[in-house]
Amino acid sequence: MKNIVTIGGLALAGLIAGSANAQLVAHKDLSVTTAVTIAQTAVQTCKSQGYNVSAHVLGRAGEVLVAMRGDDTGPQTYENSFKKAWTSRAQRAPSLNFANAVKANPTVGAIHLSNMVPAQGGLPIMVGDDAIGAVGVSGAPGGDKDEACAKAGLDKVAADLK
Amino acid sequence: MLKAFTGISLGLGIACAVAAPAGAQLLTHKDLSVATATTIAMTAIETCKTQGYNVSANVLGREGQVVVAIRNPAAGFATFENSMKKAYTARATRAPSGKFADTVKGNPNAPQFFLSNYVAAQGALPIMVGNDVIGAVGISGAPGGDKDEACAKAGLDKVAAQLK
Repeated sequence: MKNIVTIGGLALAGLIAGSANAQLVAHKDLSVTTAVTIAQTAVQTCKSQGYNVSAHVLGRAGEVLVAMRGDDTGPQTYENSFKKAWTSRAQRAPSLNFANAVKANPTVGAIHLSNMVPAQGGLPIMVGDDAIGAVGVSGAPGGDKDEACAKAGLDKVAADLK
Repeated sequence: MLKAFTGISLGLGIACAVAAPAGAQLLTHKDLSVATATTIAMTAIETCKTQGYNVSANVLGREGQVVVAIRNPAAGFATFENSMKKAYTARATRAPSGKFADTVKGNPNAPQFFLSNYVAAQGALPIMVGNDVIGAVGISGAPGGDKDEACAKAGLDKVAAQLK
């Protein structure tokens, strides 16, 4: 009988330990090498197409992991690549989606936040359904071209994103 | 005839005189490319990594602007800011940031110490082309500024052939 109580106690302890663990969140996050490869591939891809761009790679909390100012780019591309990435990370979606949302509703609430920009060129960095960061590119003549370079960066590390 | 001649020569003369000083008033600079800057930063990070240290790196340009900033998530979060400030200090003083650390040790009220981006810590080196300071690289995260600086130096050594 006592043994059964002991076993019951163990079971309870196991249950408590289980709950405590369940309250911590398990995350996968970008490493510095993966983040740099994404940014550098994006910048080089655009460069090979004749476009000088700046790039930002942000992490899960929107923190800057890599900031890259492209050769001969306007100073605004540095800020804009950050904001495109921020917008993608915030919405877990390409920044193009927000550009479309603002087109449909110019006073959409999120436009009043400091770092949201309705411009194509940012993509979320996904591991399955989890947005672990974002990459933003600015400087090419058209957001679609910026986004293509961001995509090239993600494609380069696709095997690492799982 | 004389009038025409005078007019042409005077006019041309003035045009040349104006054009020449105007050209001479523009400055010719060599600046870091993003590729060179990234090589410096990544070489520094990888060098420290092989020595067992996780570090963040900042490479700043001529005006103290960020050319490449790399946060190493494996390093402490303060290293990102500190590597920028070390680089800023090296760029501003055109000298290793360890030198400013010595200055502050000798005079804790050194006025630059009260500027936002100066830090009295070793680990950054100016990026030189001859006698011209075109930027700086700052490293933070190793256990000791001397070790940070050694990794910064490895980054500069890697691109030494390009810095001319």
